[in-house]
Amino acid sequence: MNIDIIEQNGGMTAIFKGRLDTPAAVKAQQDIAPLLENADKEITLDCTDLEYISSSGLRLFLTLRKETSAKGGKVVIVNINDEIKKVFMMTGFFNLFDIR
Amino acid sequence: MLAEYQSQQHLYLQLQDVVKKELGKLIKKSGMAINSMEFRIKEEASLAGKLKRKGPKYHSLQDITDILGARIITFYNEDVDRIAALAESLFEIDWSNSVDKRKMHEVSSFGYNSLHYICRVPKTLYNDPELPQLNQIRFEIQMRTALQHVWSAIQHDIGYKSEIEIPMEYHRQLSRLAGLLEVADDEFSRIRTSIVDYRRRVQKLVNKGLLEEVPIDGDSFNSYMAIRPFDKLNRRIAAITQAEIQEAPFLPYLKVMRQLKLQTLGDIGRMIKEDSDDAYQLALFQLGSTDIDILSETIGLQNLCIVHNLKTGRGKPGLVKMFEAINGIHPQNEKLASIVIEQASRLSFMNK
Repeated sequence: MNIDIIEQNGGMTAIFKGRLDTPAAVKAQQDIAPLLENADKEITLDCTDLEYISSSGLRLFLTLRKETSAKGGKVVIVNINDEIKKVFMMTGFFNLFDIR
Repeated sequence: MLAEYQSQQHLYLQLQDVVKKELGKLIKKSGMAINSMEFRIKEEASLAGKLKRKGPKYHSLQDITDILGARIITFYNEDVDRIAALAESLFEIDWSNSVDKRKMHEVSSFGYNSLHYICRVPKTLYNDPELPQLNQIRFEIQMRTALQHVWSAIQHDIGYKSEIEIPMEYHRQLSRLAGLLEVADDEFSRIRTSIVDYRRRVQKLVNKGLLEEVPIDGDSFNSYMAIRPFDKLNRRIAAITQAEIQEAPFLPYLKVMRQLKLQTLGDIGRMIKEDSDDAYQLALFQLGSTDIDILSETIGLQNLCIVHNLKTGRGKPGLVKMFEAINGIHPQNEKLASIVIEQASRLSFMNK
C-alpha cells in the first residue's frame, strides 16, 4: 500500500495505491499526518488505484472527516471502485463523504 | 478639544478593548444569538464636524458621549431589553443622558427606533492605576433590532435625521413602511415564542409515547431521534460482525420519510415494527461474509427505508430518490440502487 501526498488546487491530495487492509491502515496513520495538519483545507482522497478497504481503512477516512469537520475543511473521495462503493453503502457511511 | 482628543486616542482604544471584551463575554455566556456587535471611535474629521455644528453645547471633551460608540444589533425586540440588562449589570449608566427612542413616538408617527445607553466603566470592572481617566470617559451603546437597523440605515441614506424634515407627500409612504417593519419585528418575536412552545409540546408527546399525534417535521424528528428508536435494530445489525456503532446525523433521512409518505412519528414506529426483521436480513446478507466492524448509527434506519421502499413497490426509482435525498444528486445513486436491488432480490421479503 502506497500513499502519495501532494499539494494541489489549494488543498491536499492523497493518492492511494493498493489494498488498505489493517496493517496498511496502521502504517497510514502516520503517513496521513500532512493531511491532518491541513485539515482546514479540501482534502482529496484519490482512490483510483485503491483495490480494497478494511474497517481500519474506513476508520482512517472517518478520522480525516472528523478532523476536517472540526477545522472547516472537507474530505472528497474520488474514483472508488464498485466493491468499495458497496462497503460505504452497507455500512451507512456513503452520505458522510463527498464521493465523486 | 481636538488636541485633547488626539492626546487621548490611546485611552479610547483601551476603553474600546475593555468594553468589547467584557460585553462580548457576557453576551456569549447568556447564550443569546445577536446579529452583530460593532465598535467605532469617532474619527477626527467627524468630531470636528460635530463641534462645528454644535460647538457651544460642549464645554469639554467629556461632554461628548459618543466618541466611543458600540452598536449591538439583535434579531428580536426582547433581546434589545436583554442586552440592556447586561449593559446595566456591567457598566454605570448615565440615566439622565440615556434615551429609549422606541418610546418617543406618538401613535400616528414613526421614526428612528433604538435604545441608547450612555455608560462608564466602573473601577470594579476595570482598574488601571496608570489610566485612571479611563473610568471617567462616557461612551454610547446603541441597541436595536435588525429591522430597526434597516430603518435607520434607509433613513440615513435618504438624508433625513428626523420625521419633521420629511416632505408631507412621502410621510404616508414612509409611515406605512415603518409600521410594516414594526409589525414584522413583533411577528418575529411572536413566531419565535410559538416555535419554542411547539418544540416543548412535541417533546412532551414523544416522551409520553403519543407518536400518532405528532406530525413529522424537523423538530419532531429531532425529538424522536433523541429517544433512540433505532438502537435495538442497530445493535442487532452490529452483532453480525461485533461492529462498533459510530455517531452520524439522521436529519438527511427526514426527506426520505416524506418520500415514503410517512406522516406521523407513529408511522415511523410502525415501519420499525413491521420491517425490522427484513432490514436485519438485508444487513445479514450484506455484512455476514465480511469482517467489517464499524457501522454508522444510521444503518438501521437506512435498511428500514430500503426495505420499506421495496415492499411498497417503489422499486429502483424509489431507491434512487432515497439515495438522492441522503447523498445528494449523484451519478453513483443509480449504481447504489442497482446493487441494493440485486442483493434484496435474494431475500425472502422480495420473493413472497
